[in-house]
Amino acid sequence: MKNCIACGMPMKKESDFAMGDTKKDYCVYCARPDGSMQSFEEKKQGLINFTIKTQGLEKGVAEKAVANMMSKLPAWQEYFQK
Amino acid sequence: MKTKRQVQKEATRLHILETAYHIYAEEGFSATTNRIARAASVSHGTIFVHFPTVENLIVCLLDDFNAEINGQLHGLSEKNEQLETFLEAHINVLIRYEAFYKRLISEVNGLPQEAKFVFINMQSVVSFHFNQVIERCKKEKTIKEIPMHIIFNSWLGLVHYYLTNSYLFTEGSVLTEYKEELICNFIKLIKK
Repeated sequence: MKNCIACGMPMKKESDFAMGDTKKDYCVYCARPDGSMQSFEEKKQGLINFTIKTQGLEKGVAEKAVANMMSKLPAWQEYFQK
Repeated sequence: MKTKRQVQKEATRLHILETAYHIYAEEGFSATTNRIARAASVSHGTIFVHFPTVENLIVCLLDDFNAEINGQLHGLSEKNEQLETFLEAHINVLIRYEAFYKRLISEVNGLPQEAKFVFINMQSVVSFHFNQVIERCKKEKTIKEIPMHIIFNSWLGLVHYYLTNSYLFTEGSVLTEYKEELICNFIKLIKK
């Protein structure tokens, strides 16, 4: 089983993978309509909006929580190098 | 291929995390690293070889816990998943880790900032699946027009209230005993 490099979601079945392609390292939710992986900014904004929508967090808190999550994912390491 | 030394190192790290999980569940997050070292039968210094600070130990433990919950919740919001089935699955996952989770929600406000973010991300995994089920219910017009975050926070609020005040309800597992009542009545509250 793989985990999505961009959001950490476990990818167990074909439909979890972008375009149903099990060779891809990212999931269906981190892919653009053309199958390519979303950019750092796209993913970050999407996650912030989602966190606010589903948990009602204050924007600043949501931004920090998302940054914390993304900093641990392989796809975004270059954005968090100290 | 990993060397014997690497395998041993990983095993010790895992053993410390598992011990910390049980100690924190039983005694709370104020339990000292000395206490964890004794329970794990390792020297105090060994803890800091693997985790430079207490904060780091707690964050690593929560990261692992988060990954475990994530793995277990994955696939719960499949196409035809009913709201009731999802809520039951959520509670069933929490029952598996009830003592630790109860400590966590009771003490999260006093934990380091990074641990709080991991906690938020833990809830994001739940809200992700929950949101998929709720969106479907909204399309089918089977639930009231309530913002997603209010639905989610109300559910968590209910579950967390019973957990943190379990002494009011039972001496055993409050989630096991009250699961059906909580699910059934929560659905009644949001159903059209």
